[in-house]
Amino acid sequence: MKQAGSNNFFSIRYRLERLKRDSNRWSIFTLAIILFIALPVISIGVKLFAGPGETWRHIVDHLLVDYIGNSLFLVAVCSILVLIMGVSTAWLVARFEFPLRKQMEWLLILPLAIPSYIVAYAYAGVFDYGGSMDLVFRGLGWDFIRIDIMNKTGLAFVLSVSLFPYVYVSSRAFFLNQANNLLEASKMLGVGEMRSFFKLMLPLARPAIVAGLILVLMEVLNDYGAAQYYGVSTFTTGIFRAWFSLEEPETAVYLSALLIVIVFALILFEKWQRQNIKVSSSKSNNTYIHRKESSGWMQFFILLAVLIPVVLGFFIPLAQLVYWAFLTAHKVFNLDFLLLSVQSFGIAFLTAVVTVIVATLLIYFSKWSFLGFIKNIARIGILGYAIPGAVIAIGIMIPTLAFDKWLINTLDQLFSIKIGLLINGTLVALVYAYCVRFLAVAFNPIESTSLKVSKTIPDSSKMLGVGNLRTFLKIEFPLIKTGIFSALILVFIDILKELPLTLILKPFHINTLAVKAYEYASDEMVMEAAIPSLFIIFTAALPVIFLNRLLIKK
Amino acid sequence: MKKFLVTITLLTALVSCKESAKNENPQESEESKVVNVYTHRHYEADQQLFKMFEDQTGIKVNVINSNADELIQKMSMEGKQSPADVLITVDAGRLTRAKDQGLLQPIESKILNDLVPSNLRDPENQWFGLTKRARIIAYAKDRVKPGQLSTYEDLATDKWKNKLLIRSSSNIYNQSLLASIIVNNGEAEAKKWAEGMVRNMARAPKGSDRDQVKAVVAGEGDLAIVNSYYIGQMLNSSDPEEVETAGKIGLFFPNQNDRGTHMNVSGAGVAKYAPNKDNAIKFIEFLVSEEAQEIFANSNYEYPVISTIEPAGLLLDWGNFKEDPLLLSKLGENNKKAVLIFDEAGWK
Repeated sequence: MKQAGSNNFFSIRYRLERLKRDSNRWSIFTLAIILFIALPVISIGVKLFAGPGETWRHIVDHLLVDYIGNSLFLVAVCSILVLIMGVSTAWLVARFEFPLRKQMEWLLILPLAIPSYIVAYAYAGVFDYGGSMDLVFRGLGWDFIRIDIMNKTGLAFVLSVSLFPYVYVSSRAFFLNQANNLLEASKMLGVGEMRSFFKLMLPLARPAIVAGLILVLMEVLNDYGAAQYYGVSTFTTGIFRAWFSLEEPETAVYLSALLIVIVFALILFEKWQRQNIKVSSSKSNNTYIHRKESSGWMQFFILLAVLIPVVLGFFIPLAQLVYWAFLTAHKVFNLDFLLLSVQSFGIAFLTAVVTVIVATLLIYFSKWSFLGFIKNIARIGILGYAIPGAVIAIGIMIPTLAFDKWLINTLDQLFSIKIGLLINGTLVALVYAYCVRFLAVAFNPIESTSLKVSKTIPDSSKMLGVGNLRTFLKIEFPLIKTGIFSALILVFIDILKELPLTLILKPFHINTLAVKAYEYASDEMVMEAAIPSLFIIFTAALPVIFLNRLLIKK
Repeated sequence: MKKFLVTITLLTALVSCKESAKNENPQESEESKVVNVYTHRHYEADQQLFKMFEDQTGIKVNVINSNADELIQKMSMEGKQSPADVLITVDAGRLTRAKDQGLLQPIESKILNDLVPSNLRDPENQWFGLTKRARIIAYAKDRVKPGQLSTYEDLATDKWKNKLLIRSSSNIYNQSLLASIIVNNGEAEAKKWAEGMVRNMARAPKGSDRDQVKAVVAGEGDLAIVNSYYIGQMLNSSDPEEVETAGKIGLFFPNQNDRGTHMNVSGAGVAKYAPNKDNAIKFIEFLVSEEAQEIFANSNYEYPVISTIEPAGLLLDWGNFKEDPLLLSKLGENNKKAVLIFDEAGWK
C-alpha cells in the first residue's frame, strides 16, 4: 500500500520533472497562442454546463434526424464529387501537356473566388422559371425542361463545384513537387500510366488530398446561406434556428458542440491516417515533373475533363452574375461602391497577414517546444474553421466584452477615465474573429510545406549555435515561403467572402463587399447583389492567379 | 528575434489604436451629433432617408446592418455599453422580442403617439411601426378564380391539395402569420391549420417570396403566400422576365369578410441604454414624417403607417382592403409558440 503510494508519488514526480525538463519558453508561447485562439470555443464550452434549453426535447423529436441525415448526405456526396473533380484535374494538369494547360492551371482555382452562397443564388437564377436556361430554350424554340436545383442534391452539387479547388490545390502541389522520382522509377519498372496513378500516386498523395478534403467538409458543414436558400435543414441552419427562432442560445450551443465533435473526429481521422502512411520523400526535389505529350484526341478529352469543373464552378455562375450586373449596373454602381471595395480589400489583406503570422508562430513554437502533447493540442487551434461564423462571433463577444467592461469599470473607478468599448465594435474584434475562424486555412498549407523541409537543415543551424527564431527567419522561412504565400492568399479570399461573422462584429462605418451583396440578396434583390459579388470575384481572382504562379515557380 | 516580436506587437497595436481612435467613444465625444442605428432594413430608400435626416439635422447616422436576430443578440451582450440608439427591424415580432429582453425603453413623443395608429405600436410605447405590408395570396390567373379564394384558413382545406407554395418556417413573416392565427383562432386550431398547409404544399418550402411567385407562374403550384411589396418590386424589376412573370399573377387579400388581411410592420424602437436618446427619438419621428413616409411608400411599395399619405399608385390600383386590427405586439408574444407548432407540423 505504502509502496504503491510512493511509486505513484515518484511517477508523478518523475512526470513533473520531465515536464519541467521538456518545457521551455516556446511551450509557454504555444499555449498562449492556443489559449488566444481557443478562448471563444472555451467560452461556448463553458456555457455547455448550463445544459440544453427546454426545446432540446422538441429538437430531438422533430428536427435532429433531419439535421444529421442532411449533413451526412452533404458530407458524403460532396466528398465524392470534390475528390473526383479535384484529384483528377490536379493529376491531368500536373502530368499531361495539352493546349491551354497553363490557363487551366489557374482557372481551376478560380471557383474559390465566388462565395458558395452566391453560386447557389446564381444557379437558382440559371434554372429558374424565366431564368437564363429558360430564355435560351425559348430562344431555340424548344420546350423547357425545368431542372429543380433547390434541394439537397442541388446543394451538394453547388457546394462541390465551388469548393473542389481546395482539393485541387493541395493535391496538385503534391503531384508537382513529389511525383517525379517515383514516377521515373515506376516507369522504369514498366508500370503503365493508369496503374502507377492508382497504385502509387494516389496512396502517396492521400495526406495532401485529405487535407484539402477536410477544408471542403468544414466549409460544407459551415454553410448557411446556400442551405437556407435551398431549404435544406443542416446542423448549421439548425443552430441558427435554435438560437434565434427558438430563442435558446443554450440549445444552439449544444448543437454547435455536436458539430465540433464531428469535426474533431474528422481531424483525428486525418491525423491517424497521416501517421499510418509515412511520406518519406522529404528531400525537396527540384526537378520538374516531365509532362507527357499525348495524341490529338487524348488532348481533346483531357481538356474537356479539366474544363467541365471550371465551367460548372466558375463560368456558369459568372455568366449569370454578369447578366444580372448588366441589368442592374445603373442602380448599384457608384463612387461609394468603389470606396467600399477598397475598404473590403484592406480589411481582408490586413487580417490575412495577422492570421498567417499567428499560424506560423503556432506551428513553429509547438515544434520548438519539446512537450509532445503540445503538438497535439496545437491542432485545437484550427477548430474554429468548423464552427459557424455566427457562433464564433458570439464566442468572441463573451470574453472580450467581459474584458471591455472590466476595463471600463476599472479605469472609471481608479482614475475616473471614461472610455468606450475598445475591442467590441472596433476592428480588433473583427480581426480576432477572422483569425480564429481562418487559422485552419493558413495552418494546413504552412504545416504541410514545413513538414517537407528536412529536419537536418535547421538542426545543423542550431548546432552552430544559432537560435530558433534566427534559424527560422534565415533558413526555414525561405524554404516554406510558398506555403506561407499560399496560406496568405487562401485566407485573404476566405475573409473577402466571409459573411455571418462580419455581419455581427463589423464596426460602424465599415462595410464589406460580402455584406453589401448579402444586403441585396436578403431583400430578395438577388440581381442587385451581382455587382458586389463580381467585385469579390475579381478582387479574389488576381491573388489566385498570383498563387498559381507561386506554386508553379517552386 | 526581438525585432520580430516588436514588429508584431507594433502591428497589433497600430491596428487597435487606429480603430479605437476612430470610434473611441461615440457616447462621450459627439453626444449631440450622432445617432447609432442597428437595422435589419437595407433598402436604397432607407439610405436616402438617412441622408435626408443628416442634411436636415446635422446629426450623423451610423448604421450597422444585420439580421434582427443577430442585432438583438449583439445588443443584449453589449448591455449597458451598447452604442446602439435605435433598433429597426422588418417585423413586429422581433421588436417585441427585443422589448421582452429589456433592450428597449418607453419613450414619450406626442408626434409618434399622434401619427402611429395604436395597433401598430407597442402598448408601452417601446416601439413604433414605420411601414406596413400585407401577407397576401398570389394566384395563377389562368387556373384560379378569385371567387375560389376566401381566407387563410381555407388554404388548409383539401380543396388546395398540392397547390400551395410558401417559403420556409424560419421566415419571420410566416411565423408572424401563424402567430396571428394563434391569437385569432387559438393554439389547437393553429396547429391544425399548419398541418393542413403542409399537406397542401406543392413542394417543400424553399427560396424567397419572389421564388414562390415564379413557381406559381411556372405551374408548380396554383397559389403562393407572399408579402405585398415583393409583387410591387417584381413589377418594377430590372429584369424584364420578372416583370412579365409578376404580370401573370393575381393578388388576393384574404379574410375580407371577417377579421381582415394579416398585416405586419417594419418598425423602430429606442435602445434601453441609448447614449443619444434625444437624437434617437428625433430620428424615429423623422421616419414617420410625411416626407419620409412618402419615400417609404413610393420606392418600396410598402404601405405608409400615417393616414395622411396615399400609398404608391400601384398600391392604389390593388385597391382598399380590410386590415386585421390585431395588436401587433401579440405577434411577438406568440412567436416561439408558432415556431414550435411549425416544427411539430413538419413545416420545414
